[in-house]
Amino acid sequence: MILTILRILFLRLRNNPLELVLVFVMPVVFFSIFAGIFSKGIATGSDKKLRVGWIAAHETALSLELRAFLEKNSTLQCSSLIAKPSLADLDDEAEEKSIAEIEIEATIAEAQRSGRYDLIIRLPDDFPTRLADSEDSAPCAVQLVTDGQNPMAVAMVTSVVRGFFAQKKATSAAEQLVSLSLAAQSSSGYGSPREPNASQYFDPVKDPSQVFGNDQDSRFIVTNSDGVNSVNGVSDVPKEWAIAPPKSVFTTQELLETELADKPESENDEAVSISVENPQAATQENPRIAMYAAGIAVLFLLFSSTGNAAALLEEAESGTLDRILVSQAGLFHIVTGKWLGILLLGCLQITVMFVWAELFFKIQLAKHIVGFCIMTFSTAAATASFAMLLATLCKSRAQLNAVSVVIILSMSAVGGSMIPRFAMSDRMKEIGRWTFNAWALDGYQKIFWFQSPLTSLQNEVAVLLGSSLVLGVLTLLFSGRWKRG
Amino acid sequence: MTESAATTVPPVLTLHNVRKTYRGREALKGISLELRPGELLGFFGPNGAGKTTMIRCISGLLKPDSGTITRHPFDHGDDDDPDNDEPIRLGLVPQNLAVYPDLTVQQNLEVFGRLEGVSGKALKHRINEVLEWAALKDRTRSLTKTLSGGMQRRLNIACSVLHDPDILLLDEPTVGVDPQSRERIYEMMQQLTADGAAVLLTTHQLEEVETRCDRIVVMDHGTIVADGTLSELVSRTIGQPHRVILKFDRPCSKPLAAFAFDEPRTTATCSLASMKELPQILSVLKQLDQEPSRIDVRSYGLQDVFLELTGRSLRE
Repeated sequence: MILTILRILFLRLRNNPLELVLVFVMPVVFFSIFAGIFSKGIATGSDKKLRVGWIAAHETALSLELRAFLEKNSTLQCSSLIAKPSLADLDDEAEEKSIAEIEIEATIAEAQRSGRYDLIIRLPDDFPTRLADSEDSAPCAVQLVTDGQNPMAVAMVTSVVRGFFAQKKATSAAEQLVSLSLAAQSSSGYGSPREPNASQYFDPVKDPSQVFGNDQDSRFIVTNSDGVNSVNGVSDVPKEWAIAPPKSVFTTQELLETELADKPESENDEAVSISVENPQAATQENPRIAMYAAGIAVLFLLFSSTGNAAALLEEAESGTLDRILVSQAGLFHIVTGKWLGILLLGCLQITVMFVWAELFFKIQLAKHIVGFCIMTFSTAAATASFAMLLATLCKSRAQLNAVSVVIILSMSAVGGSMIPRFAMSDRMKEIGRWTFNAWALDGYQKIFWFQSPLTSLQNEVAVLLGSSLVLGVLTLLFSGRWKRG
Repeated sequence: MTESAATTVPPVLTLHNVRKTYRGREALKGISLELRPGELLGFFGPNGAGKTTMIRCISGLLKPDSGTITRHPFDHGDDDDPDNDEPIRLGLVPQNLAVYPDLTVQQNLEVFGRLEGVSGKALKHRINEVLEWAALKDRTRSLTKTLSGGMQRRLNIACSVLHDPDILLLDEPTVGVDPQSRERIYEMMQQLTADGAAVLLTTHQLEEVETRCDRIVVMDHGTIVADGTLSELVSRTIGQPHRVILKFDRPCSKPLAAFAFDEPRTTATCSLASMKELPQILSVLKQLDQEPSRIDVRSYGLQDVFLELTGRSLRE
């Protein structure tokens, strides 16, 4: 008996090619999609780099060096932002900020809205031309501006920037030490033809990459538990070293051990002061939830729209559609009526979800209500047309279910409903642009995250409404099959 | 509807040489027929004969490849001005239950009435009439899915008559219905024809067609093989409507001209125009001392007509 039951199962599977596809091909398809995302997106794939924007009030020698250092880093893709004159809010802010500052902030805001940068490095007006040579000097200020989407970006860039300043300081310390030693030699007669040259007492200045490479035995560098940072303060060599008769030979090790031993670690880290700013978070309570709400809403909207469109197939199977077609309602009325119904239900569904999110997660729905309405209508219109087209092309409800599951899950995976798009590689992001999810999420993100003006939604709205129109026309064209039987 | 009326009343629907190839098969091969007001026309034929395709063509769901289907304007008023003629109103009752199971009886009637252009008080009034007509008055607020099969079938028909159609097309309206409900459905159809509507139904049920329909059209392989009343069909194809089979205990030695004998002359068969002839035959046999031991009388029906016309049984 059990074998017979098993036989029925296998026979049904064999006789139903679509089910076979679902059972065996679907897992492979989804594995491929997610493998694509994870191998070249979230993981360190060859085409995934952190996109860093660079903006400085004015470039200095040090800033150019830092820029060059970042560009050399294989994990970063660094590009400059050019501050554009902006008239926005000049009147309000002019008293507190300079015009240049306002322009820079506007440029940063625009760059963030574009979604082309994971992080923006901003150098202030007073960024020095060279590294401070005194402990009393203030550390170089570097501001990292994030939109909060990619938390990894902040950590990675902070690490790279600190690395630069650490190298820089180490190099500076070494150079100072050399010059001090030379001065000492000069005052005590060292360096005369009879005496050995300073270079004989000190190691040659090394390239930072050598220092931070494998050469841990350098006598210039004393590595403490924190690595290279312990070279800090070497410039503060006591004056008596320069005037007192030197010992026959100083080693760097001796100098450093003498002078650095008592210095607290905190002082050694002050070459750079990195601050992180998230302009979006400053004005919002829980903006990230809005983004996730949009992702989930679009995913479920696609499923529910397809489910509602399937009523058309049920009506066709039961003969109800024939009865309606014979009545005064023509095919255009039927298709349009169904589309409108799915659209309204979709709008309602997203609204309910966002109202819930507002009540419990404070996404500031009221503040962004117009943008929300625009995006919700556009998204629901596109999904309604998509669902109607699928229902028109499929021959049965079962076929529609299978096809819609494959397409919707694929679209959601690639389009960012399941995995944030910032985590994807550029190629995956490009592929994602072929899905409703990506455009809808970008639109909601602009509203709730970047708080962009409504005009910034024009691309998203155009694509979604355009898709809706094209798919709707296709639906009308293909719906002729209902009359052909 | 009387035979004379059938010829004098102008048709509301005319099909002329309608051909339709459907899904790679020629489903209709030159169908021609007329349907008159007040007529209950039964389309009878085996599966695949083309009945449903023909209904879909008449209702406009399918476009014929060639030929014409004409719905004649119908005068609903009393004046004779032909300009007042309205277009023919057509109702379709699909084979399946083409109603919304999640709506109540009332709600189904409302939506289908509106789709047919009936609204407001007229719709309310018409719904009440139709509920009475379909004997569903006491189930107005019931969800359709909770109704019995027969009630659902009646609602299925009721949803198609809200706009008072001139032609009602029914595709297998009594499939899966118990005898009582079937009886009720035919009563409904007779009321419709009495009110002047032309009803065209397709069915597999021999008895229904034979006993209920004014006219029968027999279809096979996309063609009309016979068209007329049952007696007309029988007389045209078989000749006499009744057949008598006499069985004898011993071979019949006497010659009986009207009978066909088998060998060894123990069984005799003859056709009769009327059953009134049977007592006379038995009397003659008694006089000849050839009284049969058994008498089987069978009246010819559509099954025999179909067999006669196509050379095969309906079950083949």
